[in-house]
Amino acid sequence: MEYAIEISGLTKKFGDFIAVDHLDLKVYKGEIFGLLGPNGAGKTTTIRMLCGLMAPTEGSIKILGYKIPEERNEAIRKIGYMAQRFSLYEDLTVYENMEFYGKLYGLKGSLLRERILKLLDFLELSEFKDRLAGKLSGGMKQRLALGVALIHNPSLLILDEPTAGVDPSLRRAFWNYFRNLNKEGTTILVTTHYMDEAENCDRIGLMSKGKLIAIGSPRELKRKAFGGDVIELKIKGDINSLPLKILETRKENDITIVRAVLNDISKELPNIFNLLDSHNIKLISVEPINISLEEVFIKLLGEIP
Amino acid sequence: MSVFVVVIKELKQFRRDPRSLIMIAMIPLIVMILFGMGYGGEKGKVNIGIVNLDKEALSWTLIDSIMKVKDLNIKAYGNSIEEGRKLIEDGKVSAVIIIPNGFTYGIIKNSSVQLLVIVDESIPTISSMIKSSILYVTYKFQEELSLRAQGNFIEIIYNSVYGPTVTNIEAFTPLVMGIVLQLVPTTLISIAICREKEKGTFEQLIMSPISKFDIIFGKFIAFFIATIANMLITLLVAIYVFNVSIKGSIIDAMLISTLFLIGSLGLGILISVLSRNQLQANQAAIFVFIPALLFSGTFVPIDMLSYFAKIIANLTPMYYFTSAFRDIMIRGVSIWDVSWQTLVLIIYAVLMLTIALKTLKLRVD
Repeated sequence: MEYAIEISGLTKKFGDFIAVDHLDLKVYKGEIFGLLGPNGAGKTTTIRMLCGLMAPTEGSIKILGYKIPEERNEAIRKIGYMAQRFSLYEDLTVYENMEFYGKLYGLKGSLLRERILKLLDFLELSEFKDRLAGKLSGGMKQRLALGVALIHNPSLLILDEPTAGVDPSLRRAFWNYFRNLNKEGTTILVTTHYMDEAENCDRIGLMSKGKLIAIGSPRELKRKAFGGDVIELKIKGDINSLPLKILETRKENDITIVRAVLNDISKELPNIFNLLDSHNIKLISVEPINISLEEVFIKLLGEIP
Repeated sequence: MSVFVVVIKELKQFRRDPRSLIMIAMIPLIVMILFGMGYGGEKGKVNIGIVNLDKEALSWTLIDSIMKVKDLNIKAYGNSIEEGRKLIEDGKVSAVIIIPNGFTYGIIKNSSVQLLVIVDESIPTISSMIKSSILYVTYKFQEELSLRAQGNFIEIIYNSVYGPTVTNIEAFTPLVMGIVLQLVPTTLISIAICREKEKGTFEQLIMSPISKFDIIFGKFIAFFIATIANMLITLLVAIYVFNVSIKGSIIDAMLISTLFLIGSLGLGILISVLSRNQLQANQAAIFVFIPALLFSGTFVPIDMLSYFAKIIANLTPMYYFTSAFRDIMIRGVSIWDVSWQTLVLIIYAVLMLTIALKTLKLRVD
């Protein structure tokens, strides 16, 4: 079995409003999959249906080979879930929250205690273990929520906006946690609307208005959005006559700066030198441009009718 | 067992919730003390009035005998039946004994005589106490008389009216128990599940391997442990502060109270399942409490209610509880003698918990 998540034709309607519209998605075991999109794109609804927290209007879901909702009870033992909103007991301490969930998963005694202490250490929460969850800072709450999601050593982690409202340094720490967990074999499905974070994902699905508009690795998406790899050339001379796919040109004194698209930078770059040479254009510099996912998203979204 | 994991978690949360703790400890005290101060007279003394239309020797003997009854206190005398009725209507007395003209003559002539007793039926316990006292007095009176005259008897004719008089805390104890055992547990537990939904904790909870049974009964058991204190506090305050005597077995009184407590918790948890937020739940808990309070038969006797109100009364579990508790407390019967009410309360509790279990959805729609 190679898929952790298989969704086909998943649809959710709230009255006339279609929150999720015939979504097809497959997430491989062992990857970090990012579900990206603006607020209201249907990410949370999709996640909730995946977890059996909401009944889909249409479509089928399989998680780790279990059908949802029919075999939810089996699936749930292998899923670690972190809701968008802080959803632990504010009148219980950090330790008590983890203990409660650990016990619900059947852990007990020294095994449970060791597991909690290990997680608290991993999440740098050890010194706050006796603090009421309601008295934690936003970032600490998020770490506690991750700790609870991990208490039963899940093989699939489903995280709904785990870094929303978290400061940048903690966001980086979170992604370190995710990568470490992923190395140990945990499949991670994460939603976010921070485009820069999505660079950390193995694959990304872009959602807009309940539909998946693009799917692939960050590099694949960038190539898809612009039809290839983007390079920036600084030259002297006229370039318009050349057979190049040019995105934009601007001039600085007598230097022309050109952004162009190559189908595959690794194969075509040598040809560029020859091409420029043959047209007597003087090349000053050439460099690949790192397109941000934000630009990709805006570009791809713009292409949707 | 996940259900006990939930119980422990709920009790931990409970311990950190001063509002609920105060509610458990203070409401029984406050309600009992308010009723005690407002309605408590001298214990066991019921005021009655006498209208003596006979004014002959034997009528005075009868009045003497009435005076000796320790539960009755002759507070006023009237000159006519109308005046007697007015004494009740004004709330001065709970009953008026009318000794008709020719009372003495009738007895001497060995013919039967009548005694008219107008009784305020607003508090069934008091009126039944009056009736039994008068029966006792006339029996004694006839016993003494039979030495002198033979074969005659006194027929007592009761005439029921409803006056505003309320004199005895004991009459109110079943109602106070009913109020405390419905209001506090129902209100407290009514937020148990919808608070989780409102705060978002429900979403995480149902992502763990927990069943509907674990959630419902985990919370139910925890709140049962917490609110059993209510029953004990109310009973102890009644017995030790207001000298209320429980004629039946205290165990039976506690059993029937526990049963009603379980039903109230079941009702509360059902409200919690059906409510969207805590405010709604609290309002619903109060809303179901009002008809129970009005129609439980203590403020207004069931017989006095309209046909429609009688149906409502028969649908309120509090009616069955107060009547069973009153019988155990005042008539001194055992729980087996109130098996019908007990059965109704058992059905009520089972029904509430079952519906709650059936309607709870492990979803966040």
